[in-house]
Amino acid sequence: MIQSLVYGLTIGAILYFFSIGLSITFGTMQIINFAHAMIYALGVYFFISLLALFKGMVPLAVCGALVLGAPIAYATERFVIRRLYGESLDYAMIATYALLLIGTDVIKFFWGTTPYPVTDPIGTSTNMFGFALPVYRILIIVLAVLLFLALNQFTKRSVVGKIVVAALEDKDGVRCLGINVDKYFSWVFVLGSLLAVVGGVLYAPISTAEPYMGYNILLIAFAVVITGGMGSFTGTFVAAFAMGLVIAITGRFWSQAADTMVFVVMALVLIVRKDGQTDG
Amino acid sequence: MPLTAPKRFPVWAELMLIAAAFIALIPALQVHRVNDYMIFCVFVLSFDLLYGYMGRLSFGQMLYLGTGAYVSTIFSIHVNGNPLLSMLAGILGGTVIAALAGLIVSRLSEAPFALSNLAFNQVGFFLVGSTFQNWTNGENGLSAAVMPWGYLDFSNEYTACVFILACLLGVFALMRYLTASPFGIMIRSIKENGTRVRFLGFNVFWYKWLTFVICGFVAALAGSLYTVYIGFISPVFIHPLHNVEVIFACLIGGAGNLYGALIGGVLFMGMKDVLSAHLGQWEWLLGLILLSIVFWFRRGVTGLVASIAGSVATGRRLRRVEERANP
Repeated sequence: MIQSLVYGLTIGAILYFFSIGLSITFGTMQIINFAHAMIYALGVYFFISLLALFKGMVPLAVCGALVLGAPIAYATERFVIRRLYGESLDYAMIATYALLLIGTDVIKFFWGTTPYPVTDPIGTSTNMFGFALPVYRILIIVLAVLLFLALNQFTKRSVVGKIVVAALEDKDGVRCLGINVDKYFSWVFVLGSLLAVVGGVLYAPISTAEPYMGYNILLIAFAVVITGGMGSFTGTFVAAFAMGLVIAITGRFWSQAADTMVFVVMALVLIVRKDGQTDG
Repeated sequence: MPLTAPKRFPVWAELMLIAAAFIALIPALQVHRVNDYMIFCVFVLSFDLLYGYMGRLSFGQMLYLGTGAYVSTIFSIHVNGNPLLSMLAGILGGTVIAALAGLIVSRLSEAPFALSNLAFNQVGFFLVGSTFQNWTNGENGLSAAVMPWGYLDFSNEYTACVFILACLLGVFALMRYLTASPFGIMIRSIKENGTRVRFLGFNVFWYKWLTFVICGFVAALAGSLYTVYIGFISPVFIHPLHNVEVIFACLIGGAGNLYGALIGGVLFMGMKDVLSAHLGQWEWLLGLILLSIVFWFRRGVTGLVASIAGSVATGRRLRRVEERANP
């Protein structure tokens, strides 16, 4: 049971890394950023290639993946999402989906369709409460919690964080104060995308890298974002770990239903909370 | 967009035109392709009512297509091989699922709407692929046991063509009637501003739910046509990743235009046939075309034609005015 719990928390931590960026775009622009899954998958493939290039120096490969991912994320925001923002939400969603299609084929073109296994960089287990637990998974959980605390401090202490939180509440209000909201959002967008890359790199040793790896986590992350409340940092954190536990616990009893259960929870939350209803 | 229906040809003339156009495609494409195209067009019409007319972008329309296909296939195997009864069962199944899911999703709009549909589609895909494996045969797919009934023998491609064409024309007539009726005006008003419609005292939820169910109904019809015509169903028919195809077809033809849906359906299927024969991977091209539609050709092929025709007409009018001014 403890192992299931740790597994659930690990999944939750990865979901948290992935969902932050999604939640921010959702909260600010009300669009679903399908391209998030593209950057996630691309980041993992960059990491794999760089790891081979740098002969297994993990930190260097991670930094390289982030450096390569950042311009792609920036271009997505600057040339696709911002251009369509305010015109039509549907078109923005379709455009990001189109990017995801292109990105998936780019991956297939350069890296092929066969899944790449990634080895666990730590590879040892520790004994905790009498159970053997992989250190790597515990590290992921710890990192997610640290990230949550850091983001909390960032939004409470720093000026940029305060601006972003205020703009999530009322974008026009912040703009009326003479602050260029778009500029801050594009930085936050890039930050969110890079966190997705980090999540992908952390998750790769647990699963495998394959061209469609983004689609699956994207769907579950959407459920996390909807359940946690769009644009809410704390809500996303709680929902991510809750969904991770839902997956792990369902998976323990009925392994095929694990992913589906997430959507059942989301549907229940939608029925009870009744948000996102603009009319009728 | 004007809310009253523009003056048009009588219905039968439009239907004849469509029938003639599809029959004209047969020599160029062979019957079996035209049949495939027509079934896909039925599916695009269902999506167009939801997205083009009511403005609700769904990433989960495949669920109703797939439910229609699977229910009719399973019905044909376990209950009765009559093609019409199997289709009826499939349509009923898809409509019931749409009615139930609609209770939840038609309250939503925009991103939550698109996502919840995608989520339901994912659940449906999972149920078909794993949970009900004993019934659906999982990833290996399932052969339908549809028997010929009287003259209705789907192994004869020309008979199938007539039947599918009749279904397509029926759906088109239904859509044309719906979109020109007060109901159609209502759903277009909901697209423009649902809150205002509610303030006028209309039950917006009821209209959205009903439209959603009609779309599910037509999509299930398309799915059951696949069953009786192709006779083999696999999880491809309910896979969430294929939703982008119908979105693409609807957009490239021109959303919110019934002819656009037909043109888009034919264009997409033609593209798919040509590209998948020559290119191993062609989804990137789909993505590039989608991007260019979104940035430059929002109204698709029909919109492009309409704007060219419009500018020609304006030019002629201007010339006439000039001639009158300086004779």
